[in-house]
Amino acid sequence: MPTVSVIIPTRNRAALLPRAVESARLAGARAEVVVVDDASTDATPEVCARLGVRHLRARRRLGPGGARNVGLVASTAEFVSFLDDDDVRLPGSLDAQAAALASSPGAGLIYGRVLYGDGEGRPTGGSYPEECPRGDIFWPLLRRNFIPCPAVVFRRECLLRIGLLDEDAPGVEDWDLWVRIAEQYGALSDEREVAVWRRPTGESGQFTSRPERLHRLARRLHREKWLRLPRAAAAGADVRREAARSFAERESRLLVWEAAEGLKAGSFRGFARVALAGARMYPLGFGGKALGFAARRVGRVAAGKNLGR
Amino acid sequence: MPRVSLIIPTFDRPHMLARCVESALASGASVEVIVVDDASTDATAEVCRRLGGITYVRLEHNQGVAGARNTGLLASTADYVAFLDDDDLRLPGSLDLQLSLLEARPEAAFVAGGVVLADQNLVPTGETAVPRAESGDVFWQVVELGVHLIPSSVVVRKACLFEVGLFDRRTPGTDDWDMWARLAESRAAVLDERPVCVYRTPTPGSGQGSSALGRHMLAVVRHQSKLLSLPRALAAPAARRRAARRNARRRVADTLSWRAAEHLPRGAFRFAASNFAAALRISPLWAARPTHFRVLFRGLATLLAERNARASPPGG
Repeated sequence: MPTVSVIIPTRNRAALLPRAVESARLAGARAEVVVVDDASTDATPEVCARLGVRHLRARRRLGPGGARNVGLVASTAEFVSFLDDDDVRLPGSLDAQAAALASSPGAGLIYGRVLYGDGEGRPTGGSYPEECPRGDIFWPLLRRNFIPCPAVVFRRECLLRIGLLDEDAPGVEDWDLWVRIAEQYGALSDEREVAVWRRPTGESGQFTSRPERLHRLARRLHREKWLRLPRAAAAGADVRREAARSFAERESRLLVWEAAEGLKAGSFRGFARVALAGARMYPLGFGGKALGFAARRVGRVAAGKNLGR
Repeated sequence: MPRVSLIIPTFDRPHMLARCVESALASGASVEVIVVDDASTDATAEVCRRLGGITYVRLEHNQGVAGARNTGLLASTADYVAFLDDDDLRLPGSLDLQLSLLEARPEAAFVAGGVVLADQNLVPTGETAVPRAESGDVFWQVVELGVHLIPSSVVVRKACLFEVGLFDRRTPGTDDWDMWARLAESRAAVLDERPVCVYRTPTPGSGQGSSALGRHMLAVVRHQSKLLSLPRALAAPAARRRAARRNARRRVADTLSWRAAEHLPRGAFRFAASNFAAALRISPLWAARPTHFRVLFRGLATLLAERNARASPPGG
């Protein structure tokens, strides 16, 4: 009986897939690797056959949440981990996390850090997140998502109490799942790096290439779902307000950063989309942050000129 | 390992659940009964604790029936799955019968059987509803509502479910139809007329999902456009899609008018009126046919005759 099911949703990434599958096998000696092929039109089925990995093929596109849900139902191990087809799990990391989770029956999930990586799966320096809160992480998670999806192992049993992934939240379904698990269970964190995370860029064709959509979705979930979970509803209005404020603060900072990245990459359209969305969603927060950002920029440029003179 | 998992989503119906589970346990020789308690607020948990031989799963927050079915799938270990609504019954041995039919047709995704219609107390009314169509490719019949399929009458091959994804929580009330259509889009189905379950027919006040028939049918009509945008439907000629839309709307309008007429004699004025209004919205010309008026008037006449008889008792 395998201890960890590794679910790898994939679509048209036949060239990248073997790396992800091999890394999952090296990460867990008794891992059950399940590839959910989301109606790929490339050589994904042949690649899976060559790798000898369990391969479920959707006939029509299910989206990342739908594909992961199929993987969840099709897999059997006590612990579950998601791995994206362009990410890499580090050797032995699944076994270590599963063992830690097994020895802590009250915890629903364990997460570690991810190393930032390039398109080849090589670390480029830096890791995420800096701090790894543990224990009751429900309120911290309502402020920001500090749990990278490929760095998590969770108990399958949790889902029998909270249900499967929300297919209505493409791109944010992992955050939503962590929130719902954290409402009911404690969390463990090992401060070790467990995966390499491919940082999305404008051209990579990853879903995160359109950041404003994710932010809009996160805002909707935060307001209409997470703050209405019984645990949040039972808390005082001031606690909820504080969570909403921290969330908006963090989101507007991210939006400013992403808008600036768009500008830096020379995509005026990307910049405008993100900036407009930010200004519309968080008028004050985004405006203030953007002004501060611009002021710092101007200051730095001015300082540079002074130095040059 | 059990051969088939029977998933029973339940919400606040402890008084009906015991009978339902009992019928489920007797429906097959190797059946795993999974009760998914969709965050009931009453004695459901206690009732389930007393029931032996089941897997009990309790959701903390209500997920809706599609979410509960999906959670049941997560708990299931068999290669075939069936579903049973908590107010319906499975007939003894019915799962074994359907499994043998499905195993004989390895290319088929699901098998559907006949339905014994019953009243609110699950007493059969003598009527049955059977899936009247040829086995094989039933995609268009399913999309046109031409095959009678209910969750309790179907057994699905789990591997085929993985090809089309799980139940869609975003379409409450039509998530089961959505599933059969997606399965039938690329796979064959086995249809068999022999009855396999007992269906508690909703009445205007029974508070079942489909009690508010007018609203439900409007949702059905809306959902059909989603099904008509499945790749298979889009690849068909536009005339085929138009015909499917027309046929489904006529069936829906018929059902609404007949059910209105059926309940008029019992004084369900508002039900009848909302049904007829919905029918007119869905298919104006079809709903306004003389036949429909005739049925309605007959219903009304029965009601008035009964009222008069009550008002002037014989010999009074």
